[in-house]
Amino acid sequence: MGKKERVSVKICVGTACFVQGGADLLLYNEFLDPVVLGGCDIEGVSCLGGCKDPNAKDRPPYVQIGGVIHGDMTQEKLCKLLAEAVHA
Amino acid sequence: MLELNNQYTVMKRQVHAEVLKAFFAGTLEQEVDALPIKIIPKARIANRCCIYKERAMVRYRIMALMGINIETEDDELKSLSSYVSEVMEKDKHVAPILTTISTACSSCPPDRYLISEACRGCFARPCLANCPKDCITFSNGQAHIDDARCIRCGKCKEVCPFHAVVHIPVPCEEACPVNAVKKNEEGFVEIDYQKCISCGRCAMSCPFGAIVERSGVMPVVKMLKAEEHVTALIAPAIEGQFPGTLAQIKQALLATGFSSVMEVSQGAETTSLHEAHELNERKSEGKGYMTTSCCPAYMELVDKHLPFLGERRSSALSPMGYAAEEAKKANPQTKTVFIGPCLAKRVEAVKLKTIDGVLTFSELASLFIAKGVDVREMEKADLGKTDSFEDCREFALSGGVASCVLSRYAKADEVSVLPINGIDKKMFRTMKIWDKRQPEADLIEVMCCEGGCINGPGVVVKPSVALKLRGGNKAAAPVKAMRSIVGARE
Repeated sequence: MGKKERVSVKICVGTACFVQGGADLLLYNEFLDPVVLGGCDIEGVSCLGGCKDPNAKDRPPYVQIGGVIHGDMTQEKLCKLLAEAVHA
Repeated sequence: MLELNNQYTVMKRQVHAEVLKAFFAGTLEQEVDALPIKIIPKARIANRCCIYKERAMVRYRIMALMGINIETEDDELKSLSSYVSEVMEKDKHVAPILTTISTACSSCPPDRYLISEACRGCFARPCLANCPKDCITFSNGQAHIDDARCIRCGKCKEVCPFHAVVHIPVPCEEACPVNAVKKNEEGFVEIDYQKCISCGRCAMSCPFGAIVERSGVMPVVKMLKAEEHVTALIAPAIEGQFPGTLAQIKQALLATGFSSVMEVSQGAETTSLHEAHELNERKSEGKGYMTTSCCPAYMELVDKHLPFLGERRSSALSPMGYAAEEAKKANPQTKTVFIGPCLAKRVEAVKLKTIDGVLTFSELASLFIAKGVDVREMEKADLGKTDSFEDCREFALSGGVASCVLSRYAKADEVSVLPINGIDKKMFRTMKIWDKRQPEADLIEVMCCEGGCINGPGVVVKPSVALKLRGGNKAAAPVKAMRSIVGARE
């Protein structure tokens, strides 16, 4: 069995995301399952552009997981999505 | 206190950002009456009873942002646009800082202890044994509390092995240290402004958002729009509130339209020196303990509730006071705007007369969003020479003020320090008896908010996040994210 690729996670820290709850996501060391944490490369990045789309259905904060942008992110939602991504 | 990360915070910030966007676009008067509908669209699943009530609440939040006293000036027949044009004409009177929205108030019933389904009706029955009023009875195999006799001491809750006893508080009443928040005859919240010390705890704790701050944002954005010379006086707590370094935050302020930026830590140096000098005088004259004077909610507390402490507090101005003097000296034409985490600072600002406006970090965040300023994308501004007051950035944390005073005091090891880390009901009671029994300390550092200013009512992030992003705590930060968030700090 080949080594599994690590999941790339980009947390948007543009002002809008940071202010609307994105800042809490930066505490990932505390709320993520260590196993999941070990399978991810997490970094804070500049505005992903999610908030600039006038037709967007979701709202800040945004997180990009393996190339896909997710909005309305919360700690719980991030736990769930990352667990799925890591164990996939 | 309500967790900062919640639906209400998100809604409030969205409202603020939308209003400010429209203001800078010059369309606020035309757009403002449509904003509640834009922010609460038909398709929304309401958190309150219905979208119409939510829209009504957005209307009140906009009024609060305009600085309108909702208790006295609410006129349901008046359009938001006419309120806006009034505010454009003339700034609102500042006091009182807080106002209540009675229709938002859920009229929480009086606080009580309740024994839940989780009660196993155990044999030991520590609740029964420890209740000082004998108000616990057993029926159907479970314990019950007789509300009429219960004195709400909470003993039963402490001793129940199954955690079956719940305390249902009235959050605003519980949060107020001085019993200024009460329910009126109809059960709606009311604030006694004769008692209120403007600490903002009640506003931070109401889960319905029924107590709001009358914002000071409009006078400031009017100055910015008129391109006046405005100096931003940034409180020591600002570091860690935004995703960037202090130098980037300064640049972001300049990009937002402020003409110059000054760290209030600079004024904190003067405060520390003054207090160290005063402490020395008092100690050599055997005058007993001295308290700090930089927390404006504490100053209000002394003025309104603990007058005997008047002679105990340091005569130093707050860091904001000295910084404002400095800024006016550098440029007498400049308008000074204090940007901090504090509501009570606005009360102090009115008294000082050297401060022309006050913003909270939360309002600044909305201002950044409205102006499209991304702190993280900013170049690093030159902070100037900061060596002498760098340590004073710790004024934002509990213990920080005392340590700054002591580091400027020759015989620091002879001074005993008592930090008052947050004033709640219990601490207020303790402070009341200082009149009769002097506290055993030379220097008492008083901060109304637990943890210090980084936990104030106007913050953007919770203290745990702020601490990670602040300079002194690099080690605590998640390495990779830290590198990318704050850029190269060195």
